[in-house]
Formats: sequence, structure tokens, C-alpha cells
Amino acid sequence: MKKWTPLLVFLFILFLAFPPMATAQVQTRVRVIEASNVGSVIDPSLRDLHGQLGSLFRYTSYRLLRDERINLSPNQPASVPVHQGRSIEITQVGLQANMAELRVRIKRDGADLLNTQVRLSPGRTVLIGGPKHGEGVVILALSASF
Amino acid sequence: MKDSCSSTSQLLERYFDRQATDEERSLVERHLPLCQTCHERLRVLEGLRKAIKTPVDEALKEETFPWVWEKIEREIRLGKKPSWQESVRSWIDLSPLFRKKVWIPIMAAAIILILVTSPLLFFKKDPSYSERSVVEYVESEVYNVMVYESEKAKVTVIWLFEGPQNESPAS
Repeated sequence: MKKWTPLLVFLFILFLAFPPMATAQVQTRVRVIEASNVGSVIDPSLRDLHGQLGSLFRYTSYRLLRDERINLSPNQPASVPVHQGRSIEITQVGLQANMAELRVRIKRDGADLLNTQVRLSPGRTVLIGGPKHGEGVVILALSASF
Repeated sequence: MKDSCSSTSQLLERYFDRQATDEERSLVERHLPLCQTCHERLRVLEGLRKAIKTPVDEALKEETFPWVWEKIEREIRLGKKPSWQESVRSWIDLSPLFRKKVWIPIMAAAIILILVTSPLLFFKKDPSYSERSVVEYVESEVYNVMVYESEKAKVTVIWLFEGPQNESPAS
């Protein structure tokens, strides 16, 4: 046992120096928004995004269709239904001190419509929009906290 | 008398050095007034002692011993300080931690840490566009895709253009 002590001390110090970040969870928020020019209703729960949405798009109405918070474990995909048989699948593929790497797939009937990978830091929002929905379009708002 | 002088002269030096016994001393003191030779030898010995002792006494008078001690103590206090290497070495020798071989893995881990962190600390480079970009890649066989990133608004837009009647962001 005595001869292993230096090795154990060495491994313990390395463990302290490089904590296993990869095992940490990332809380991701997915909001499904319908944007249209029908009416001028801004969903109260989108108040934090209103400034960003208003500066980027000319839609007059933003309605929240779904709001999901998911705890993502590394390499464990989580799926959220979006609209019209589509779903969004999010996988945490990496985590650094201030950045989570997420792979995002939008699927319909099991087939990928979109495949992307984004780096999300706390406070940053990624909007994925465009597909038609009713009188307007659907916009997915992704944000993360960790 | 001659025998007495011969035996007394042998005692004379012991008498002079005050090492003679009481019996020897009384023998010498009884003999000296009777023997000019022994008396003369005693005077020679006293002269010799005086010749040696006087300069030593004068030198001692000039030297004050408390001052000498002060000088020695000052020399000790102002003695040469050990170098930092000697201080570190003596500290390592004294520390029980360093007497064991534990410091070897600690030093190895410290070196690895320095090697890993020094490029981050000293060689900070501006991230390239691909490093700054939020979107690492995007691909779709169904949609045409536009990516817009705003650092000011901290927002990234991935816009999908659907079908032949392309739909674009309204702005």
C-alpha cells in the first residue's frame, strides 16, 4: 500500500485540477413560438425575448406554443415535440467552463430536416425559425444555463 | 651543608612556583638566609618572572574584556546570512513532509498544471471566426439555411427557407 501512496496523491491532485466537467448537466430551455402578422399579441412569457424578436423580425404577434426545460446529460438526446409531427432533438456533446455544445436536430417522421451544432453560453439565445405554421411561422428559441 | 643546598636547590623552583608543601617551604626558607647561591638563584627567577609578567600585565590593562565580548557578539550578529538556496535546503531538510517521497508526485502534478495552464495564461490569442461563432455547423437536405449572429443582442438566428416559395425573415 505504501508504495502506491505517491501515485494516489498524484491522481488526487490531477482530479482536483481537472474536475470532470463532462458529467455536468446542462439545463436547456426550448420555447416554441408562433410568429405572425395576425393581431398584435405578445405573449407575456416572451417578455425577455421581445426585444430580440422585435429587432430581428417584423411580425406583430408572438404566441408561445410550448415551453420546455430539459436537463441534458452528456450524449443523452432529449426530444421535444414541436408542431405538425415535427420534433426537436437536443444532445449535449460538450461542456466547457462557460460554453455548452449542443447538437440540434429537427426531425419529421424520423428523418432529419435540420442538423446543426451550436455553442451556447448562459444568456445567449439561438432562434431557429422559418417553417410555416398557420398564418405565420414557427420559431424555436433555445437557451441554456449551467 | 652541601647536601642540604643540593636538595634545597631542587626544591627552589617548586617553592618559587608556590607548589611546594608546607614542609618543603619551611625547609627552603630556613636554608635561604644561610646560602648565598640559592638566594641568588631565587632572585634570578624573580627577575625572569618580572621580565615576562610586566608586558603581559600592561597589555591586559590596555584591553578591556567586556569590550572584547561585545565585539565578538556583534560579529556573531552581523555574521554572513545564508543564501536563499541554503535557506530552502535547510527548510526542506527540517520539514517532515519533504523527508518523505510525497513531494515527487506533487512536483509532477505542479509541472503538468503549469504546462497545461501557461499557454492559456501567456499566449492568449483572439479566437478565430469559427471559434467565436455560435453555430459550428448547419446542414439540411430540405431547407435553404441562413445564419445570422448578433453579438450585441446575444442572439443567433438560423432561418430555414421552406419550399419553392421561399420565406424570409420579415426584416
